[in-house]
Amino acid sequence: MNEWFFGGTTDNWLSALRIGLGLQLVLYCIISRADWRQMFALQPGSFVTRDLTEALVTLGSALVPRVSWFVSAGEFIGLSEATVLWVVWGVLLAAGLCLVVGMFCRSAAIAAWFIHLSAIKSSALFSYGVDNFTSIGLFYLMLSPLPDHLALDSSWRKWPVKNAQLQSFWQRVLQLHLCVIYFFSGLTKLLGSGWWNGESLWRALTRPPFDMFSSEVLIYGKYLFIPLGLGICLLETSYPIFIWPHRTRRIWLVGIITMHGAIAVLMGLYLFGLIMGVLNIAAFGTDLFRLRGRKVI
Amino acid sequence: MRETIAFYLHAAGIEAGYGYFAPNVPYSYKLVFQLTYPNGTTEYELPSVATTETGRRLPTLLDFIAANRYEPLRQLILKMLAYSVWQHHRDALRIRAVFGMVITPSIAGYSRGDEPSYAVVCAYDFGFSKTERSPP
Repeated sequence: MNEWFFGGTTDNWLSALRIGLGLQLVLYCIISRADWRQMFALQPGSFVTRDLTEALVTLGSALVPRVSWFVSAGEFIGLSEATVLWVVWGVLLAAGLCLVVGMFCRSAAIAAWFIHLSAIKSSALFSYGVDNFTSIGLFYLMLSPLPDHLALDSSWRKWPVKNAQLQSFWQRVLQLHLCVIYFFSGLTKLLGSGWWNGESLWRALTRPPFDMFSSEVLIYGKYLFIPLGLGICLLETSYPIFIWPHRTRRIWLVGIITMHGAIAVLMGLYLFGLIMGVLNIAAFGTDLFRLRGRKVI
Repeated sequence: MRETIAFYLHAAGIEAGYGYFAPNVPYSYKLVFQLTYPNGTTEYELPSVATTETGRRLPTLLDFIAANRYEPLRQLILKMLAYSVWQHHRDALRIRAVFGMVITPSIAGYSRGDEPSYAVVCAYDFGFSKTERSPP
């Protein structure tokens, strides 16, 4: 068990996770820019005022970070709410860019995790799976032994790369987490009759606002819904078994990434597709694609 | 202790389950605003967002409204959304928020020619005055 967790590995997985999460944050910032103020402001006309969402979220724990903390701190030094919200947006974007290039990796990862968590908790009524998975990724990135050998911190600033035992431990944690996620996701789907008769897949694709293709087009593939629906359940439930052996890993990884790619295209969930691709490649993909890596002692 | 555990769950992104679209894919919900003007004309509006990405986040809010059994909270959220619409239509005398479920036909139903239908879950009337400056 000790060998399995701390056996040592290259830091390729960490490079993939860092760059992928950085890219995810940059896209999140760019895409949400137009609605950013309306999502978080207390001003008249925002969708659901921030204080209500935060009150609901903090029912469980008052320690959960939220945008109001930044606004209160900003008001203390004389900044308006609008200014603080744009500063928060800008810092999150900067943290994402730093992660992509690998500058100030640790600080950028901590800042990205904290600000992203605050943002999604303060807009919890507008959050969905993509935000949870980004949080999961940022949480592990923040704790992982940064910088990796592809980061500018290593090559330009000459910061030493961390040891391989820690690399393999955090990669194992991410791998196990993905296995739990897919297993329970697949198992709970199998409990519903809709995944056995194709109705769930049909409804997922025709449900507004995810109906990217009209029902008239989708109905041509009606005989595929049953095998595809069952295929998704089996792919997810058996993920913890078949993702480990090298012989089947490539098939399951390609299958699961194809599934997320199809979700992105057919339902318009591009950010969700990207984060799931990033997490899967970081956890299981870097060895398969034979990226050149450096194993450090 | 309970608060610390809750914080850890949120911090690690593991406070939610992993049963996305499970065990079955639920029906979706729709919110329509009927705006009535002083001259008696009516106009219909949907919750407006600037980007399609935010639009894909709206179902979370609509699902929350549908699942919420606490009437005052449901009404408060709908009033906030109605108020955000009223900001762009300040001449409107009254806004009726109609919240309903979109029932999409099954595969067999669609093959027979069934169309999606809309079942009203609840509706509220809200009136805002032009002097109103603070959110509801």
